[in-house]
Amino acid sequence: MFDYCRACRLMVTCGDTTRCSKGSAETNHTQFNDVKPVLPRAMASVSEMYDVTWEEMRDKLRKWREDNHRNSEQIVDVGEELINEHASKLGDDIWIIYEQVMIAALDCSRDDLAWTCLQELKRQFPGSQRVKRLAGMRLEALEKYEDASKQYDSILQDDPTNTAARKRKISILKAQGKSAEAIRELNEYLEQFVGDQEAWHELSELYINEHDYGKAAFCLEELMMTNPHNHLYCEQYAEVKYTQGGLENLELSRKYFAQALKLNNRNMRALFGLYMSASHIAACPKVNATVKKANVKYAAWATNQINRAYQLAGRGTKENKCSVKAVEEMLESMQITMS
Amino acid sequence: MRMSIKLTTQAYCKMLLHAAKYPHCAVNGLLVAEKQKEKKKDSHSTPILCVDCIPLFHGTLALAPMLEVALTLIDTWCKENKYVIAGYYQANERTKDFRPNQVSEKVGARIAENFSEAAMIMVDSTRFTMGCYEPILAIYDHHENKWKCRDCNVDSFDDWCEAQKITSALLEGRSYESLIDFDNHLDDLRNDWTNPEINKSVLHLC
Repeated sequence: MFDYCRACRLMVTCGDTTRCSKGSAETNHTQFNDVKPVLPRAMASVSEMYDVTWEEMRDKLRKWREDNHRNSEQIVDVGEELINEHASKLGDDIWIIYEQVMIAALDCSRDDLAWTCLQELKRQFPGSQRVKRLAGMRLEALEKYEDASKQYDSILQDDPTNTAARKRKISILKAQGKSAEAIRELNEYLEQFVGDQEAWHELSELYINEHDYGKAAFCLEELMMTNPHNHLYCEQYAEVKYTQGGLENLELSRKYFAQALKLNNRNMRALFGLYMSASHIAACPKVNATVKKANVKYAAWATNQINRAYQLAGRGTKENKCSVKAVEEMLESMQITMS
Repeated sequence: MRMSIKLTTQAYCKMLLHAAKYPHCAVNGLLVAEKQKEKKKDSHSTPILCVDCIPLFHGTLALAPMLEVALTLIDTWCKENKYVIAGYYQANERTKDFRPNQVSEKVGARIAENFSEAAMIMVDSTRFTMGCYEPILAIYDHHENKWKCRDCNVDSFDDWCEAQKITSALLEGRSYESLIDFDNHLDDLRNDWTNPEINKSVLHLC
């Protein structure tokens, strides 16, 4: 007999005593013998399953909103229950929750739920541009791109500076696979709205997907200028430079991986990137002895840090030992190619 | 005549779980097969059995450094476990787009350098259902520097009925929420990209 653990959702057989990754580290999978028998998942409430109060659910939703998490299935689970069971307690928070749940519902093809949320919002905020945009997003989810576009155009007629509507139109182009047009429109948008970080990042991604790394780098440079402390932009820029290739770009990438590490010494991508770029530079036949020596040192330092990070992570878990070993061996084998 | 490729349940279901975890992103990963002891003279006989799948990245697939790290690390891990990297899979960001692209061809070619019979697999998201009623893969072989699509049907599986049943069960149970890809590993080194828990679940359901 088997069922799924309430915490981590893995299928487990009756009597399984393996540790659950979602519950506390000391607990085994929560099996159906441990709780009173529950019918198919759809019937058990979130609050029952996870033993949370409605306030905790509301706070979780807020956290996901603030972090811009796209965990739509969870948002739908928690949000739907909050709306159905605790609407009266939510006060004015309910409207932003309707919006959040609606978007998540679109992501999960729950048009029923999305429609309900939309109706509530339409009733409360008649004629609102923000709600109109949500209606447009629903049309997008139904792949009715022309109707969605018309919806956004009507918003822009009333308010030509409505950035949300413009960005949705660009998303439609992206959804239709019209990358070149999306890039063109986004460039035009950015000429007007130069400070829109999200847009610069989206554009960098579009360029990367088109393998236009030079232009992607330019977008990331904009982001780094306005967000000098953001280690993620630094690290992404370094990755783009590395991908562009060539000795100069490799050296630049190494510098920016190092910068990302300075900003956040736990950024593993930056650490690995520093190791890879330094190793490649050291192995390059064109470099002189001084540069080679310096890069060998950087790579050695990175190796040390990587090994330490893995030792730290691997402490206590027998499974992770294979990763630690694999990393050590990988680093060793690459040392050979460098010399 | 090319050796055919077969997928085990574990390989197939982890691929689909990866795609299900990130429905709004492109995802990719590697397939590993057991290393053959000697080269068989009769190349028709044993098909290549892809026993496991290592999910790699989600989101932006077209950047080199982390891909290089992953390939090197997983290659080392393979040697330890007498595996060989035998294939590459990719599911594109847009549902309707299931053709190979520059990334899949490049990575596929790289793998083919070390393993001549390497397969490149594209996931067809338009046919992706919870019930998993049919295989949703397109398998490509490397032929004279080009990738040719070959038929993917139930014969491409070690045991299609088992694969179908177990993949469907894991999707229903939302096991993909706990699937770890290499990106997750880079975010937190404690995340194990070999996915031992999911492997156990697959075994339990067999």
